[in-house]
Amino acid sequence: MTEPTVAPPSTAPTTIGPVRLELPPQSVMSRVARLTATGVASLAGFTIEEIDDISVMVSEVMVALVEHGAQSTIVVTFDVADDCFTVRGATNIADFRLDHPDLALCRTVLAAVSTRHGIEGTSARAEIWASLQQHES
Amino acid sequence: MDANRNFLTTEAADDGTIVVAGDIDMAGGPIVEQALQARESELQASGGGDIVVDLTGVHFMDSSGLRSMLAAARLAAARQAALELRSVGPEIIRLLEITGTIDQFTIASRRD
Repeated sequence: MTEPTVAPPSTAPTTIGPVRLELPPQSVMSRVARLTATGVASLAGFTIEEIDDISVMVSEVMVALVEHGAQSTIVVTFDVADDCFTVRGATNIADFRLDHPDLALCRTVLAAVSTRHGIEGTSARAEIWASLQQHES
Repeated sequence: MDANRNFLTTEAADDGTIVVAGDIDMAGGPIVEQALQARESELQASGGGDIVVDLTGVHFMDSSGLRSMLAAARLAAARQAALELRSVGPEIIRLLEITGTIDQFTIASRRD
């Protein structure tokens, strides 16, 4: 019987993605997005605490797009570059009010858990993005 | 098939405590809200009291889930009662602090 071997510590990739999802505008799809995001972040070597924040970040992006979008396909991308995880979500919009109280709550949470975030768009399409810079270990 | 069954459950303990397990997010929030509204109706009919929620099995909540909890807290507050949260994890406490809503709830106990 051979002795079990221990794999050498792997070096997390410095660049990942973009990983792109096209999701139907359903609330449960937030979980699909979170699972994918946490997988990407884990692969890139983010800590458990950082992954928790990324999970919230992604969920808030999905809340904004599912609840305030025009019920069309949501495109979400994840990428890691320069130790920074970024989620971008976009969908068509009909009546997207930045001052809606629910959206304000969403942005309050995004501001707290991300390093930077933003909402951009036109009258027909909105994009929400949020980034988290990895802490130096 | 209800996909939420795999991710969130609510059940009422013998003492009326609502025990929640799973993610209170955009999909789970309405399920929790429904359970809390049912408890609210029971309490209104039986003379009052606080709504008690056990969050031992909850490790994730987002702003949409928080809105569901806040809706129940406001209903309870309207009859001079409280929404009491037990075994609240650090992730949930953080969300309540971030959003400045922690005072809307009675935090009976926390867990690590």
